[in-house]
Amino acid sequence: MKDVKAYIESGILELYVLGDLNPEERLEVEKTALEYPAVKAELAEIEKTMELFAEEHAIEPSEQLRGKIINSTLVNLGDDRIFTKQRKHSDEEEYEDDKVITMPKRTQFYKYAFAACLTLLLISIYGMVNLYSQLQESNTQLATLQADKTKFANQVNLKDEQLSLYRDTNFRIVRLKGLPKTPAASMVLAWNPSTKKVMVDMQSMKLPKTDTKHEYQLWALVKGKPVDMGVFDNAAVDSAIVKEMKNIASAQGFAVTLEPKGGSVNPTLDQMVVIGQF
Amino acid sequence: MSPKRKISLSEENLIQALRNREKIAVEALYDMYSASLYGVIIRIVTEEAAAEDILQETFVKIWHSFASYSADKGRLFTWMVNIARNLAIDKVRSKDFKNQGKNQELENNVTFIDEQRNTVYNPELLGIRDLVKTLKPEQKAILDLVYFKGYTHVEAAEELDVPLGTIKTRLRMAIQQLRKHFNE
Repeated sequence: MKDVKAYIESGILELYVLGDLNPEERLEVEKTALEYPAVKAELAEIEKTMELFAEEHAIEPSEQLRGKIINSTLVNLGDDRIFTKQRKHSDEEEYEDDKVITMPKRTQFYKYAFAACLTLLLISIYGMVNLYSQLQESNTQLATLQADKTKFANQVNLKDEQLSLYRDTNFRIVRLKGLPKTPAASMVLAWNPSTKKVMVDMQSMKLPKTDTKHEYQLWALVKGKPVDMGVFDNAAVDSAIVKEMKNIASAQGFAVTLEPKGGSVNPTLDQMVVIGQF
Repeated sequence: MSPKRKISLSEENLIQALRNREKIAVEALYDMYSASLYGVIIRIVTEEAAAEDILQETFVKIWHSFASYSADKGRLFTWMVNIARNLAIDKVRSKDFKNQGKNQELENNVTFIDEQRNTVYNPELLGIRDLVKTLKPEQKAILDLVYFKGYTHVEAAEELDVPLGTIKTRLRMAIQQLRKHFNE
């Protein structure tokens, strides 16, 4: 049993009301007040007195301060419920804890908008680069296809031309056959007496391979005499399908001899490989 | 000088409204207590702009830490005035405030404020005049030191060069005297 009277007289309750006690002393006073109604009543009296004392000293703050303070107090109204942290009736606590900083929403919005724009830009650039490389690839393919097409068209033209040689009734087909020395050799040429054109079918040509110092020379036999019709290479060396030779108006036959490169004025008769006569 | 409409609630209703985070609670709180709190604050910091800042900080803090208030531990005003006094005392003792060099000599500040306000707030100060007369000089001195200058009773004992027990008794006597005065 505490000496309530002495406790009250000690002045500790006044210090409690003035906030001039350490946390332990404060708890002790609160405990005692709960235990002894007289202490609680005395505390209430002191508190009431100090409130009246303050009221006596009250000074009205300037009028415009009311709105300002009420507003700034209410600014974070919505966020206040998160303040669940228990606070003591304490003097030492730091005020810093109470400052609630709201992020400016506009800045936040622009930040996100900027990030979104940047992302879209990067995606676009990536897409463009992809598309560009695909376009390049397509262009290359297209060029290749066009080249192929031209090549095929040329080939078709050539074939047509070749075919026309055989179809043209003006052309006379001459088959040159191998001699005893070269029985496997053979060659076909077409001669148009009216246009004087002579064409050698390179693809059906079967002549022995020549070395680098020699080539074949075509001769027309005009009234028993050989006339130079130009030189040509073995089919393996010349990729042409049909080779046009020199013109001739009339001939009784054609022959091919192997001659030194560049051809000769007169044929080397023992080097004759094929001959065809009408 | 008085606002058009002041909101006033019973302490019980006010506490309830504050717990419910109602807007009206802040308005009522301001209308009911701002003058009392401001009177205490300005006597401690002596400078109007600083006192207004402290008053604002006080209300923000009351609002935010209201969950820690318990009616079992005492009156709402006691809790609030201690928040205000602590903020004001922290301010006065802070470096930047001391460096301003504007603050009055602490010894004179209470009388300075009261004299300064005399003409404007005459009716309110009549009470103080009476009140001061009822207090003995040493009782007034201890109240000034502890209540308006933020001295702890230990610091006050050193300042006045009297034993701690004497300080406590004197403080109690001063408050007893006020009690008698208000009950008359």
